[in-house]
Amino acid sequence: MVPLLSMIVFLPLVGAIVTALMPRTMPTVPRVVALGFSVATLALATWALAIFDVDGGYQFVERFPWVPQVGIEYHLAVDGISMPIIALSALLTVLAILVSWKIDHRPAFYFTMIQLLAVGMTGVFAALDFVLFYLFWELVLVPMYFLIAIWGGARREYAAIKFFLYTLAGSVFMLVGIIALYITQGSFNIAELTALAANPDTALSYNLQFWIFAAFFLGFAVKVPVFPLHTWLPDAHVEAPTAGSVLLAGILLKMGTYGFIRISLPIMPEAAASQFWMWTLGILATVSIVYGAAVAFAQTDMKKLVAYSSVSHMGFVMLGIASGTQEGLDGAVFVMVAHGLITGMMFMLVGMVYERTHTRVISEINGLSSQTPIAGGLLAFASIASLGLPGLAGFPGELLTLLGAWRSDLWPGLVIISALGVLLAAAYMLWMVQRTVMGEAKGVVAKIRDLTAFEIATLAPLVVLIVALGVFWSLLLRYVTPAVQTVLSGMGV
Amino acid sequence: MTYIPAIPLLPALAFLALLPMSRAARNRAIWLPLGAIAVSLVLSVMAFAAVWPGGAEKAAEPVYHESIPIATVGEATIDLGLRLDPISSAMLIVITVVAMCVQVFSVGYMRKDPRVGWYYAVLSLFTAAMLALVLADNFLMLYIMWEIMGLCSYLLIGFWHEKEASRKAAIKAFLTTRVGDIGFAIGLFVMFVTVGSFEFDAVLGSAAEWAPGVATTVALLLLFGAMGKSAQVPLHVWLPDAMAGPTPASALIHAATMVAAGVYLVARSMPIFEASGVALQVVLAVGLITAIVGGLLALVQHDIKKVLAYSTISQLGYMFIGLGVGSVIAGMYHLITHAFFKSLLFLAAGVLIHAYHNQDMRKMGGAARALPITSAVFAVGSLALAGIFPFSGFWSKDEIILVLTKDGQYLAAAGALFAGFITAFYVARLWFRVFTRKPQAEGLHEAKIGKLAPMCVLAAITAGIGFFGPTLGYFLGHKIPWPDLVVAGVSSAVAMAGLAAGWWVYGRKGGEIDTGAVKARLGAIYSALVAKLYFDEMYERLAVRPFTRAASGLAVFDISRIDWLVDGAAKAWGAIARVSWRFDDRAVDGGVNGVAEAIWAFGKRARSIQSGRIQTYQQLALVAIVLLLVFVVVKG
Repeated sequence: MVPLLSMIVFLPLVGAIVTALMPRTMPTVPRVVALGFSVATLALATWALAIFDVDGGYQFVERFPWVPQVGIEYHLAVDGISMPIIALSALLTVLAILVSWKIDHRPAFYFTMIQLLAVGMTGVFAALDFVLFYLFWELVLVPMYFLIAIWGGARREYAAIKFFLYTLAGSVFMLVGIIALYITQGSFNIAELTALAANPDTALSYNLQFWIFAAFFLGFAVKVPVFPLHTWLPDAHVEAPTAGSVLLAGILLKMGTYGFIRISLPIMPEAAASQFWMWTLGILATVSIVYGAAVAFAQTDMKKLVAYSSVSHMGFVMLGIASGTQEGLDGAVFVMVAHGLITGMMFMLVGMVYERTHTRVISEINGLSSQTPIAGGLLAFASIASLGLPGLAGFPGELLTLLGAWRSDLWPGLVIISALGVLLAAAYMLWMVQRTVMGEAKGVVAKIRDLTAFEIATLAPLVVLIVALGVFWSLLLRYVTPAVQTVLSGMGV
Repeated sequence: MTYIPAIPLLPALAFLALLPMSRAARNRAIWLPLGAIAVSLVLSVMAFAAVWPGGAEKAAEPVYHESIPIATVGEATIDLGLRLDPISSAMLIVITVVAMCVQVFSVGYMRKDPRVGWYYAVLSLFTAAMLALVLADNFLMLYIMWEIMGLCSYLLIGFWHEKEASRKAAIKAFLTTRVGDIGFAIGLFVMFVTVGSFEFDAVLGSAAEWAPGVATTVALLLLFGAMGKSAQVPLHVWLPDAMAGPTPASALIHAATMVAAGVYLVARSMPIFEASGVALQVVLAVGLITAIVGGLLALVQHDIKKVLAYSTISQLGYMFIGLGVGSVIAGMYHLITHAFFKSLLFLAAGVLIHAYHNQDMRKMGGAARALPITSAVFAVGSLALAGIFPFSGFWSKDEIILVLTKDGQYLAAAGALFAGFITAFYVARLWFRVFTRKPQAEGLHEAKIGKLAPMCVLAAITAGIGFFGPTLGYFLGHKIPWPDLVVAGVSSAVAMAGLAAGWWVYGRKGGEIDTGAVKARLGAIYSALVAKLYFDEMYERLAVRPFTRAASGLAVFDISRIDWLVDGAAKAWGAIARVSWRFDDRAVDGGVNGVAEAIWAFGKRARSIQSGRIQTYQQLALVAIVLLLVFVVVKG
C-alpha cells in the first residue's frame, strides 16, 4: 500500500528542500523544479481523487504512534469533504507557480515558500490528529508571511504582520480548544472525538461544548474571515503577490470553514445546534454577505474589490454551516471549491492586467475587451461566474446554502437578506466589468498586449472546471454528499 | 424523438464553436449559427408534428420526457430534464421562427458591425437558453435558463459598449430583473421545502393540497420573478432602456421571446395560482395596471423603439390579464400572436432607423411612399397591435376580453378596453408621424430582399394566424371559441375609436399639426408621463443613491472603525507589555524569582511584537494558551 496522502502532503516539502538548495547562479532552475514537484503532486492528488470511494468514509488512512506518551499520532485520512479541497489545493499550487514564472527577486526562496505553503495547505485537510492539524495550520502562516513581506506591494510589512498576528491570535484560541478537548476526552484524534461526541454516554456536557465551541469559533472565524474579524484580508490580498492572493483566497480561507465542518459541528454537536451559536453564525454570515458586498461595491482597487467579495462569498459558506442541513453543508463545501476556482482566476487575471498596466485602480483601466479581447473576455467570464450565474460553478453552492438555510430553523429573514447578497454581487461585479472591460481602450490600456498562450494555458484549467462544475454539480457533490451525511448523522440530525 | 435535445443543443454548440474564434474568424462564421437555428427550426416543426393534434391528454402525458441527474442532495435529485408537450412545442415554433427571421434579417442589418460574429454568438446562446427553458421539466432548470437568458440580454443591450448609455442600460436591465429573480429563487426554496422536488409533475400535481398560505406565497414569489422578466409595473423600468441594444436583438429578446418568459412561467404554474386564488387577483391587477401604464407611457415617446418598448410592456400586461382570470390559453394565445407581430414591428423599425439614420419619429415621415414594402408589413403589424380584424392581435385580445366578461370581471374588461383604446391611439400616432407626413429626411431607400423576406414571413403569419385560433386552442388543450360578436363589436369599435382619435390629433392636415395645445391642456399629466411617472427617479432616490452612499460609508467605516480597533488592540497590547515590563522591573523583587522571571520574559516577548519579530509570537501563543487553559479547566 502506497502512502498516498503522505506523498501528496510531503512531496512539496522535498521540492521545497531541493529548491532551497539551488545555487543563486541558476535563477531559472527553481521554478522548473517547483513546477515539476507540484505537477507530480497534482498527479498524485488526481489519482487519489479518481480511486477515492465516495461511499467509503475516511480513506487512504495512515496511522502511526508519534508521541505515544500523550497519544499523539501521525494520522492522515481524507473523506469526501477534504479530498476535493486537497485536489483543489494541488491544482492551485501548480497555477500559482505558473503565474509566478517571471519572479526574479530571490526565486529560490520564493518557490521554496510556495511549496512549503503547499505542505501546510494539504496537511491541514488530511490531518486527523489535532496536534498534526495544528502543526500544519501554523506552518501555513510562515511561508505566507514571507510571500507577503518580501514580494508584496508598498505596505507589505504592515500587511504581513497583520496577517500573521491576527490569524495567530485566532489559532491560540483554537489551541486552547484542542487542549481542553484533550483534557476532557483524553484524545487528540479528530475521528475518535467525533465518535465520542456522537455517543450520548461519552458526549461532553453542553456547558463545556459551548465554551470549547467558542474557542474554536474564534480560531476559525478569523481565518474565514467572518465579519468583523475580516480586516486583515483586504490588506493581505492587496499587498500579496498574485500567487499569494490566489492561494490565500483559494485555500487558506477554506481552512476556517473546513474547521467548522470537520471539528466544530461534529465534536461539539449540541453547541452547534444551540440557539446561541446557530444565531451567532447565521447573523454573522448574513452580515458578512451583505457587508462584504456593499464594501466591495465602493472599492477603487480591483484586488480590494475581489478581497471584499471573498468576505461576502465566504459568508455563504458560513450560512450553509449555520443551517446544519444536508443542503446547507453540501452548498458550503461547493462554495468553498467554486470560490477557490473563481477567485483564484480573478486574482490571476488582475495580476496579469497589473503586469501590463502597472495599476489596479478601476478608474484607470478601461476597454480591456477592445484592446485585449481575451483578457477582457476572461475577466468578464470570471466576474459572471462570481456573481453566481447558473451554468457556472458559482451558482450551485450559493443556491444550496440558501436553500439549506431556508430549510433550517434559522429566521427566514436572514435568508432573504442573504439572497440580496446575490443581487449585490451582480452590482459590484458588473459595475467593475462595465468600467474595466467595456468601453473604449484609453490611457494605460491602449498600448498593452493581450494574454500570451502561456497565460491562457494557465487559466484554461480553471475555465474548464468552472463550467464543468456549474453544469454537472454531481462531479463535486458525489464526493461531498455522503461525507456530509456522515457528519450530520453523527450529530444526530 | 431522440432529436428533441438537439433543438436547444444546436444553437448552444454554435455559440461554443464561435466563442474561442478570433474576431475576424467569428465574423466570417456567422453561417454556423444560421445553420444551427435552421436545423432547430426543422426539428421544432417535426416536434410540433409529433405532438399534433395535441389536446388535453398530450398535456398530461408528454410526448417526450427524458432527464439526466446533475446532483443528489440528501434524498432529492436535481435533474436537467426535457419534456415535450403541446405548450412547449408551440413555444418551440414561435421561438425558432422568430429567431430564424431575426438571424436572417441580421445578416444584412448587422453586416457592417465589426463585432457581428459576437452578436450572432450571443444570439445563439440566447436562443438555446430560451428553447431549453420551454422544454424544461422542472422549475430549477427553468430558473437556470431564465438566468442565462438574462446574461444574453445583458450582453446584447451592452453590445455597443463604447456608448455610456448602452453600458448603463445593460447593468440596469440585469439588476432590475435580478430583483425579481430573488423572489423567484425564494419561491423555489418554499416549493422545495414543501414538495421536496422541483419537478413540474410533482409540484403542480400536489399544489392543490398544500397548506393554506403556501400556495399564495409560492405563487406571489414566482409572480415577482415573472414581473421582473416580463417588465411588469413596477419592475418595468429596464425594458425601455434596453432598446440601446441592436434592433433585431430587441425584436427577438425584448419583444418576442425572453420578456414573454414571465408569462410562460405563470402559465406553467397555473395550478399553484389556482390553488391560491388571491394570487390570481394579484396577477390580474398587475396586468391591468401594466397594460394601462405601459400604454400611457408609449403615448409620449418620440423614439420609435421606445414606443414599441412601452407597447411591449403594455401587451405583456395584457397577457397577465388573461392569466389573471385563470385562463392559460388567453395568456398564451396573446403571447404567441404578440411574438410575431411585435418582432415584425421591431424589424421594420430597424429598417426605418437605418433609412432615416435616426430613431426620433419627429425626424421621420413619408415612409409610406419611400419604403412601400416595409410600410405595408408595418401596417399589418400595427393593425394587429391595435386589434383590428382580421389581424392576429384582434383575435387574441378579444379572447382576453371574452374570458374577462365570462368571469364577470366587467371592471377589468373595461380597463382592458381602455388599454386597447390607448394602444390604437399610439399606433395611429406612430403611423401618422412616420409614414404619412412630409419626409423629414432625404435619400430614403427601401431595404433589400434579405431584410424584407423575414419581415414578409412574419407579416403573413400575423395576417393569417387568427383564423387558426380554435385549432390552436384545441392543440393547447383548451378551448378558443370564435369571437363573441358583441365583444368583438365593442372591442373593434374601441380600437377604431382609438385610431380615429389618433388621426384627429396627429393625422389631419397631412400630419402638420401643432400638438402643443393638447400638451398644454394636459399639463401635469403630460409632464408626469414624460418623466416616466417618476419610477426611475424614485428608484434612483430610494434605492440606488442610498445604497451607493451606504456602500461608501461602510467602506470608510471598515477602515476607520473596525480596522482602527484592530490596530488599536495591537497598540494597546504593546502598551500593556511596556507597562508590565516596567512593573516587574521595579516592583517585583528577587524573592519571587521564578514568577518574576516568567513575567519578565512574557513582557519582553510581548514588547517585541512592535519590533515585528515574528519568531517570538509562537512563544506568546504558548503563554496565552497556558492562561486560557487554566480558565478552561477551572470552568470545566
